[in-house]
Amino acid sequence: MSTDDLNKRVSAARSEVEARGETFYPGASRVHLAAFPPKERWNDWVELDSKSWPERVEKRYMLVPTTCFNCESACGLLAYVDRDTLQVRKFEGNPEHPGSRGRNCAKGPATLNQITDPDRILYPLRRAGARGEGKWERVSWDEALDDIAGRIRACLQEERHDQVMYHVGRPGEAGFTTRMLSAWGVDGHNSHTNVCSSGARAGYHWWMGMDRPSPDHANAKVIVLVSSHLETGHYFNPHAQRIIEGKKKGAKLVVLDTRLSNTATHADHWLSPYPGSEPAIFLAVASWLIRERRYDRDFVRRWWNWHEFMAEVHGEADASFERFEAVLAETYDGYTFEYAASESGIDEATLRAVAETISTAGTRLATHNWRSAGSGNLGGWQVARTLTLLNALLGALATEGGTFPNSWNKFSPRPPRLPHQHPRKWNDVLWPREYPLGLMEMSFLMPHLMKDQDAFVDVYFTRVYNPVWTNPDGFSWIEMLTDERRIGQHIAMTPTWNETAYFADYVLPMGHGSERHDITTYEQYDGQWIGFRQPVLRAARERLGEKVVDTRDVNPGEVWEENEFWIELTWRIDPDGSLGIREHFESLDRPGEKMTVDEYYGWMFENSVPGLPEAAAAEGIGPLEYMRRYGAFEVTSKVGKVYEQAVPDGELEDVRVDETGRVYSRAPVPPSPKAPGGTKIAPDDEGRRRVGVRVDGEIVKGWPTPTGKLEFWSRTLRDWGWPELAIPTYVKSHIHPDNLEPDQIPLISTFRVPVQIHTRSANAKWLDEIAHTNPLWIHPSDAGRLGVEKTGDLVRVETEIGHYVLKAWVTEGIRPGVVACSHHMGRWKPIGHEGQRIGMMTVALANQGSGWGLTRVAGTGPFESSDPDTMRVWWTDVGVHQNLTFPVHPDPVSGMHCWHQAVRVRRAEPGDAYGDVSVDTSKSRAVYEEWLEMTRPAHLHSPDGTRRPFWMLRPVRPERKAYDLPQAEGAGV
Amino acid sequence: MFDRPEPRPTPAELIRGLAVFAEPPTDEHSRIAEALGLESVPSSSEYSDLFLFQLYPYASVHLGPEGMMGGEARERVAGFWKALGYQPPAEPDHLAALLGLYATLAEAADGDRSEEAEAQRRLIRESRAALLYEHVSPWVFALLHRVGELAPRVYAEWAKLLEGVLKEEVSTARPNDRADTGAGAGQAVALPLHLRVAPELPDPRERGAADFVAGLLAPVRSGFLLTRADVARIASVCDVGLRAGERRYALEHLLAQDPPAVLRALAAEALRQSALHEERREWLGETASFFAKRAGHTASLLEELAVEEAAKEEMAT
Repeated sequence: MSTDDLNKRVSAARSEVEARGETFYPGASRVHLAAFPPKERWNDWVELDSKSWPERVEKRYMLVPTTCFNCESACGLLAYVDRDTLQVRKFEGNPEHPGSRGRNCAKGPATLNQITDPDRILYPLRRAGARGEGKWERVSWDEALDDIAGRIRACLQEERHDQVMYHVGRPGEAGFTTRMLSAWGVDGHNSHTNVCSSGARAGYHWWMGMDRPSPDHANAKVIVLVSSHLETGHYFNPHAQRIIEGKKKGAKLVVLDTRLSNTATHADHWLSPYPGSEPAIFLAVASWLIRERRYDRDFVRRWWNWHEFMAEVHGEADASFERFEAVLAETYDGYTFEYAASESGIDEATLRAVAETISTAGTRLATHNWRSAGSGNLGGWQVARTLTLLNALLGALATEGGTFPNSWNKFSPRPPRLPHQHPRKWNDVLWPREYPLGLMEMSFLMPHLMKDQDAFVDVYFTRVYNPVWTNPDGFSWIEMLTDERRIGQHIAMTPTWNETAYFADYVLPMGHGSERHDITTYEQYDGQWIGFRQPVLRAARERLGEKVVDTRDVNPGEVWEENEFWIELTWRIDPDGSLGIREHFESLDRPGEKMTVDEYYGWMFENSVPGLPEAAAAEGIGPLEYMRRYGAFEVTSKVGKVYEQAVPDGELEDVRVDETGRVYSRAPVPPSPKAPGGTKIAPDDEGRRRVGVRVDGEIVKGWPTPTGKLEFWSRTLRDWGWPELAIPTYVKSHIHPDNLEPDQIPLISTFRVPVQIHTRSANAKWLDEIAHTNPLWIHPSDAGRLGVEKTGDLVRVETEIGHYVLKAWVTEGIRPGVVACSHHMGRWKPIGHEGQRIGMMTVALANQGSGWGLTRVAGTGPFESSDPDTMRVWWTDVGVHQNLTFPVHPDPVSGMHCWHQAVRVRRAEPGDAYGDVSVDTSKSRAVYEEWLEMTRPAHLHSPDGTRRPFWMLRPVRPERKAYDLPQAEGAGV
Repeated sequence: MFDRPEPRPTPAELIRGLAVFAEPPTDEHSRIAEALGLESVPSSSEYSDLFLFQLYPYASVHLGPEGMMGGEARERVAGFWKALGYQPPAEPDHLAALLGLYATLAEAADGDRSEEAEAQRRLIRESRAALLYEHVSPWVFALLHRVGELAPRVYAEWAKLLEGVLKEEVSTARPNDRADTGAGAGQAVALPLHLRVAPELPDPRERGAADFVAGLLAPVRSGFLLTRADVARIASVCDVGLRAGERRYALEHLLAQDPPAVLRALAAEALRQSALHEERREWLGETASFFAKRAGHTASLLEELAVEEAAKEEMAT
């Protein structure tokens, strides 16, 4: 037999074996992922017990997949469940997961620390004294459920729908909770997004109608990152591995980061700009690309809404494309390298070199901004908008190696029994009229808005969220949470103690990543996948033949999982179905009985995930079993340019094409396996829905924006009062040198350490050991000027509302004239309260009027517990809590909290102690009012009498009528 | 721009399948053996005897001056993995890993055929050729030949198949593709780096017996492969006692008992293997020549020492 024939024979044998889901090549010769156990052996995997060395003691495991919950990336994990003890021994990566591909960061394996944490909350607790007093009693789930359900039922029966609120930090799931809130008819979804990513989202949204980028890093020629993506960026692990792949293939990496982050050290061009000047840099690059004609003219002609811009802004409805090009060049001609250099502090030659590099990318330019500069600055949303301008100039959108919009690279399956009702009542606390264009709920203003509106929330859930610690102005949150005239009942749904839970009425223990069900899908490359989070001990027991219907039976103590909790709670809210809510949580096969988690996900996997039933059938199992076995499924890859796809003939019925090329049709919306969502584009005057746009004579799908094109110019921004910001432009930050007092310096507080989990890793001993302090980064030149002699010296950082005291880290890794202090650190518990003993300091809280103080009483240290490692805690420092000293800085357009602070740094004063925090909440109120002055409220600027543009994205969208402002207040009415 | 004809696609799948047989036998071996047309599957004891006791499938054993696993030679191989952007596995110079890497590069080189990807493919082809030239071909053919001589039938069949496939690869990997050999266009290709820096076999009359015996067991210095089976055979032929232990220990005891006879037997084996290397010269080039010369020199030195030892014995009697 010839070599070629033999090669084909081996290849055929491999295909056949792999089609059965088995592994053909067993070991080192596989090269890729050689370290992973072959999946056909996951049910009975044998390893030598490392702790028994040098004895060769075999341990037998079941490998059960789940999804990490320690950031938003949702990487795949494999739990090693000991077959003898049925306990999880370790977590490793799941090679079957399309996003993470078997790799994990330190946070994934640390799930083991969280589930074995001796300080975790194991039973439902109810406060036994005053709110915040630290006295608790154990209650049954039934007691808690009946009490909470009764309150919610009363709210719904009394038309107080706006008094039920669910405040979420890390969602970590796709659709369950929004479906539930829709079923309840409650406009109470309150996310953390405005302290996180609204700035970037806004910039993307107004370009593309979708609010997240999905860069195809692995295939890019040039990658531009505004942040430290290789260590902590959003979708850090899935993106970091693909950025490195791109680099291996020759991609050039441009990193904008004021700090010398680990990512910056990998860059071909590291730019350390003055914070907030990033848009000026991107506009200078764009201006140069335009002047040099190094952009994709045909793409711009076909896909930008330049007609609309010329007609509305220049009164030239008939302008030619060439005329637009001339105007475009003129519009940006002031953004020279010289100007960008003066704003950013980076020399012209470097900026020019970066522009040259970017110009070589063609359609393979992968760019990303998520938090970082987009979340730090007044006008920070223009970072994403100006960055996307570069992609839009090069035609590098939804191309191989370019940047995709998120919706085309994710897949949210349609759930069963989807509610069709929309909340009837608008929630003014979450969507106040002062911020009609705010991308997401104005969550961080809640203490102030509650006062302004004299509002009351009867049932307030905080779920995987810790606003007292995470949000700016935390003392105002404590004031609100302890005021029973504002919050009727606060339920903290958390697996571990946090600063907000201390001020709750109930603390309900919910499972960690390996103790709960969720479905996840995120945009991490040009493909679509779903991941399945599951309670691994439940799955393990089911493999052994047990039937588990209540996850509390396998979780430690009485720790529950949310899906089952919400189903149970909903049934108690509407026990007889009279509110029309229960029906959405009834069994599919047995109406009148509760829906089970198996039914919910089983139905979804069977009916809403194309290809999954077939993949499962090929292995002789059902879709739910497939997902329980492998934990993830890739629905499709290489999605490509959706906007260029032809609209199917079946969707073209009684078609009308308007003068701008928008195509409307009477054909009904075709059934889709995806959950509904996205923008809501208005129908034409005769009720036809928009199905696409006509470009060069072809009817194609286009973009989900009002024009169906990429919106270089935003009519929305113009119509709602911001004409000067309607095109990508540069807004000088609130910490721009023009806005600082001579003795002020910008503080960057948004960067993270790669091994911590916002406020959920105090109980992760491995992570705490690696990173447990957050000194002030200060350049030697500034240290000298400010009298800081050396690393470790105590300094006082004064903000607009108070100060905090911490140690200095004198380093050349930060731009001179800027200081920085990382997120994550400074976790605390008040004296007398329970809490984490490893990652939390004990503090004394003091309050007099609007004056608040926090004093560190003790750090962490060794202690006896069920875990012998706790006697090995060698460190005492857990950092300082800086966010308490930050006032709110809501961007008047995007609503994003602008995190950067103008501070004064000086040597600590006599009497100052490490960790001290002092704040005056009356000053924070004054800063809030100052920023409120910058807004252009709906009742003064709405063009159509509504509270918010209907087309824009919004979670749990209320019915159309709820958008109308009260009659007397609509400016445009 | 790239006007040379496309090379024949590498049978990556076949190479990967063959590579598996340098690893401990598992359940998967049977279906791969079936696909390869091998008559049977090696047992664990056959594997152990061949690869753990006789012929060590590691580049560092064959190309390192110590003749042992690890050391600078393994680091050099690991560096090659890193240069390609791969995380080196625990044993980067194991034959299975090297063949797996070769197959991976071959798949990448034969992958995206678009013009845009041509430059990338060419780089990969050159990397693949360099891997073969630098880290595989200098030692693998001698090893496979000896597998054919010493191993059970299933491994002998395997070795013959693998030798054939790799021989074809050597013949199609053009000198211009050997990017890291230091040769410019039209220049003679330099020896692989492992060989260029390999010290010669030390002369025991100058450096002592210990270094000499160690050198004999380092193929890159002595030019030939001396297995446990060879040592046992020499003991039998020379009618001296074989002491159980590692090769070096056993060899030292053989030499202590009847130096002239053992040296002559060793010389004969070196000479035999020198001739085998010489046979490969036509298609393997300077690499084969290097080993042929080293083995030839070793044989001469051993003969010379045997004569001297015999003279000493004669004088003593």
